[in-house]
Amino acid sequence: MIFPQVSDILDIGIVILDRDLKVFTWNRWMERHSGIAAERIIGQPLFDFFPELDNPRFLRSCRCVVGLGNLYFFSQKLHHYLFPFKPVSTLDKRFPFMQQSCNMGPIRDENGAIAYICITVRDVTDIAVYEQRLIEMNMKDGLTGIYNRRFLNTRLREEINRTRRYRNALSLLMFDLDHFKVVNDTYGHLFGDYILQAVTALIGSLIRSTDVLARYGGEEFCCILPETDMNQAAVIAERCRRTVEANLFHSQGIAVHITISMGVAQVVDEIDTPEKLIDQADQALYAAKKGGRNRVVLSGASEVTPVAAD
Amino acid sequence: MPDHQESIISSDEIDILQEIMNIAFGKASADLAEYIDIFIKLSVPDVRMIPAAQLPSYFAEMVGERERVSIVEQKFWGKFNGYALLVFTSGAESELISILSCEDPDLFRDEPIDDLAKGTLMEIGNIVVGACVGKIAELLNDVMAYSPPVVLLERSVADIIPDDMFNSADSAVILNALFCFENREVNGMLVLLFSQASVVWLKKALSEFMEQYA
Repeated sequence: MIFPQVSDILDIGIVILDRDLKVFTWNRWMERHSGIAAERIIGQPLFDFFPELDNPRFLRSCRCVVGLGNLYFFSQKLHHYLFPFKPVSTLDKRFPFMQQSCNMGPIRDENGAIAYICITVRDVTDIAVYEQRLIEMNMKDGLTGIYNRRFLNTRLREEINRTRRYRNALSLLMFDLDHFKVVNDTYGHLFGDYILQAVTALIGSLIRSTDVLARYGGEEFCCILPETDMNQAAVIAERCRRTVEANLFHSQGIAVHITISMGVAQVVDEIDTPEKLIDQADQALYAAKKGGRNRVVLSGASEVTPVAAD
Repeated sequence: MPDHQESIISSDEIDILQEIMNIAFGKASADLAEYIDIFIKLSVPDVRMIPAAQLPSYFAEMVGERERVSIVEQKFWGKFNGYALLVFTSGAESELISILSCEDPDLFRDEPIDDLAKGTLMEIGNIVVGACVGKIAELLNDVMAYSPPVVLLERSVADIIPDDMFNSADSAVILNALFCFENREVNGMLVLLFSQASVVWLKKALSEFMEQYA
């Protein structure tokens, strides 16, 4: 009679399953966070309540515990959570679900045979939030809020590795604000800062959530476009160029039009490192500048003929 | 501190230990294949007792001084305690990732590669260590508890052994087996280290193990 009381006091979730994966124990912590009362779930198949757990990984871990007597660890980093619970923490809204670090291990009967699977669930949302904040501070550009160059390099390397592994397309846009020095010299650096923020925000609204927009330096920017070939990238680039051109940027009682020049490159056999890809995009960007600015140039090709409005 | 004689493993006992590991690893790889479709082969283990202070040079010799390796380290404790180290040659991660992700290709799509490699090594390492150590424990009538696995990516041998692992005056029992994943380019080394403090119990368990054949 002591153990059930202890298990209800503990600030972790305890779930015990029998070998048929029916719930045997469901402690108060689990009741509180799942909203499912112990008397409702005990004796029932876990998957009736949590169908998302009926997946190969969870089943494999159960087999490891029952078959091998293994202790199994589900790290928050890799799994994020086992049980989809609402986060309790009001620190941050970035995690739609409570982040959990879980263990799973065997419970044996008097004869030493494995009779049950015990799962413990720890709420690590706060830790994950702090970690995320630290990571973000380290990868974002202070002025524009988009990614910084360090992150661009890391991410580009990862994306190129991924592209090689899955044989997907990958393109890179590189762009530059035309005559930015004139803007700074004419209207002051404060207005210049506003332009950098406004242009990146505008372009950020035109790309997909999987694309990575980063400040390369000064008024130069890069955008990684995963699973995008050169032709698709050219369409995105041209859309960005035209939207910026059409927009009237106004702040502090000043209104100006801005244009951008863009270079586009994609990963192909001989261009397979971040350095080479950036260099290709940079050369295309240089050609766009030289060709009169406010245009898109594809690496190794001539200028993109602006297509008619969408 | 146990007296000298009690804490030294005889050559007979080393043979028994080797036999136990053989049986244990055979069972472990059969179970891994049966329960979770992981097919590994383990070599006949090398068993020896060396002064703990010599562990770094032992590893340097086994792995190669300049080699970069990835390591999964787990402590285990039951009636005898020790460390399990799975040492993978570098590059194994991507092969292992494909083992885990073939059942669900989208699983890791958006994870940063480093987290992915770590998570995969941790997951597979934990399974392999748990199976192998668990079987040895089972043969010796023990049940093990494990610490969560710690993963070190791309290290040199010098960084493998934590400084505080053993009292440098102690001896360590090393069980070392090479393993490979069938049909995969994944090779490595499973090393189990027991502290001297475990030797007394180990000797007793070994003699009990032999009694069933007497």
